[in-house]
Amino acid sequence: MNLTQQLINGLVLGHAYALVAIGWTLLLGVARLVNFGHGQMYMLGAFVTWWAVVKAGVPYALALPIAMAIGALFGLLMQRVMLKATFEQNLVSIMIMTLGFGYVLQGGAALVFGSTGQILDTALSRSEIKLGELWLTQQDLAIVLVAIAVFVGLKWLLDGTRIGRLVRMVAEDPKLAQLAGVNVRRVYYGVFAFEGAAVAFAAGMVAPRTPILTSMGFEEVIMTFVVVVLGGIGSVTGSYVAGVALGLFTALFGALVSPAYTTAACFLVLIAVLVLRPGGLGAGSTAGVH
Amino acid sequence: MQRRWLKRLALPLFGLLVFAAPTLLGGSGAVYSAAVLIAIFAVMAYGLDVIVSDLGEVSLAHPVFFAVGSYTTAWLSTRAGLGSWATLAATIVVALLFAAAIGLVTLRLREFVFSLVTYAVGVVAITVASNWAFLGGSDGIRGIPLLDLSVGGLQLSARNDRELWPYAFALLAVTVYLIDRFRRSLLGAAAIMVHLNPRLATMAGTDPARVRLQVFLFSAPISAAAGWLYAYQRAYVSADVLENYFLILMLTAVVLIGRRQLLGPLIATAMVLVQEKFFSLGGNVDKIVLGAVLIVILGFFPQGLMGLLQPLRRLLQRGR
Repeated sequence: MNLTQQLINGLVLGHAYALVAIGWTLLLGVARLVNFGHGQMYMLGAFVTWWAVVKAGVPYALALPIAMAIGALFGLLMQRVMLKATFEQNLVSIMIMTLGFGYVLQGGAALVFGSTGQILDTALSRSEIKLGELWLTQQDLAIVLVAIAVFVGLKWLLDGTRIGRLVRMVAEDPKLAQLAGVNVRRVYYGVFAFEGAAVAFAAGMVAPRTPILTSMGFEEVIMTFVVVVLGGIGSVTGSYVAGVALGLFTALFGALVSPAYTTAACFLVLIAVLVLRPGGLGAGSTAGVH
Repeated sequence: MQRRWLKRLALPLFGLLVFAAPTLLGGSGAVYSAAVLIAIFAVMAYGLDVIVSDLGEVSLAHPVFFAVGSYTTAWLSTRAGLGSWATLAATIVVALLFAAAIGLVTLRLREFVFSLVTYAVGVVAITVASNWAFLGGSDGIRGIPLLDLSVGGLQLSARNDRELWPYAFALLAVTVYLIDRFRRSLLGAAAIMVHLNPRLATMAGTDPARVRLQVFLFSAPISAAAGWLYAYQRAYVSADVLENYFLILMLTAVVLIGRRQLLGPLIATAMVLVQEKFFSLGGNVDKIVLGAVLIVILGFFPQGLMGLLQPLRRLLQRGR
């Protein structure tokens, strides 16, 4: 095993995790919404991109916006159904509903795209970059660059613009924000549309690395959990750092110990953090609810 | 006086009706297998019901308890040759160990962090079950013997779903009785108090963490016992007992009729299974139907189907 190669793999994987988690990070930070359908939305994004490229013959650069538009529309639909529960902060209902949405997506995608696995190939994923012994695809490089760009862009949007200020106000106290004249409903719709578009975009970027299956959402979401929880629920910078760290950990664990149990290992890391910092993450994260 | 008598008689009468239902519905093999599955999945859902309805938390680890029951039974009956009573006892013990481990780790986590971690437990369980050779890996464990609960000279065994039905019914009846007792118990009252007002509970001298752990320990063996019978019914066990389907089915069973309705999970499970077994629209469409039912109920009828009956009942009372 070449350590440098594993570190490169880890960095690529880490940026992929961070990119996939970005929509949920914002959703959780702003609307305190937990989306268990996230993994299936990722699956949908991957399949729409695949369908557009392979079946409809659309260029990859155009397939991504198509997937994002469909993702955003689905996000808006979810938020429409869950709006009442969101205003009531009825987390129990919201969590179960998002599980239901994920299940509907899984059945629907199998119906439309068939239940066989597919490979999403792009021009970028076919061309390799070789540096002596080391290699990565151009797609890998694109994932890293795009993830950094998206995180920097989101950070700027949240900290430096008027929209960002409104979003942060709603995150802090939705009722007060409403009294101050902020259209809270529109912000909720906005973050959910962002979640849908962001995860679809991430899927279009990341899915060429692995075969895609309509049943993959159930497991896909777990890395996002770990990133979001380790990153300090709702923190954009924290998610980026947690994503990259998790990617390095996964790559090294897969190479040194066992690739089959990487999910289990990541979960143990999560448990360790939650137990070592009891009250910190768990209690702190729910302080603003109710 | 008369009404109280009616109320006391209603449940046993309903039980008798349920017990006779497969015969009344024609008594074909398909009806009996559906009835057995309904009983098993309803028991599985009752385990989750006390967590969601009484404690007010969403545990997504209950399919794991169900799988723990199935795997313990499969492993011990095929590799160690244990009988059905011994596998039931082992199922309960192993489920308690799992519940204690998960419960202790998640004790201080609340709401969505608790749900995230319990969901992750499910995903990890499926990767472990499908990779670990000890549990049969992706092939699972085959060749589970028939259910045999014979005691002394009394022959109690089941060769097919028709003969399995009395045992499935008995398991269901015991479960409903336990849930009813739980809701009338001090622990049940404490769970509701912790759910609705944890601060008040603490002031009243109840330790919320302790109550949560106790309810968790009460609920896990119930879902696991369903897994125990499921292993005998299917005669083999593989990682697909951890599929998303069981989680969605359980959650639908808990919310469809309404929270804290004693017979709610049973009726809801029956509705879902009857649709899937006798009015199936194909596996994928069935998934869409089940998921959509869950969404529509929570999004538009948060009181469940019982909520729809409320206005009707009010109307009847006014008329009297």
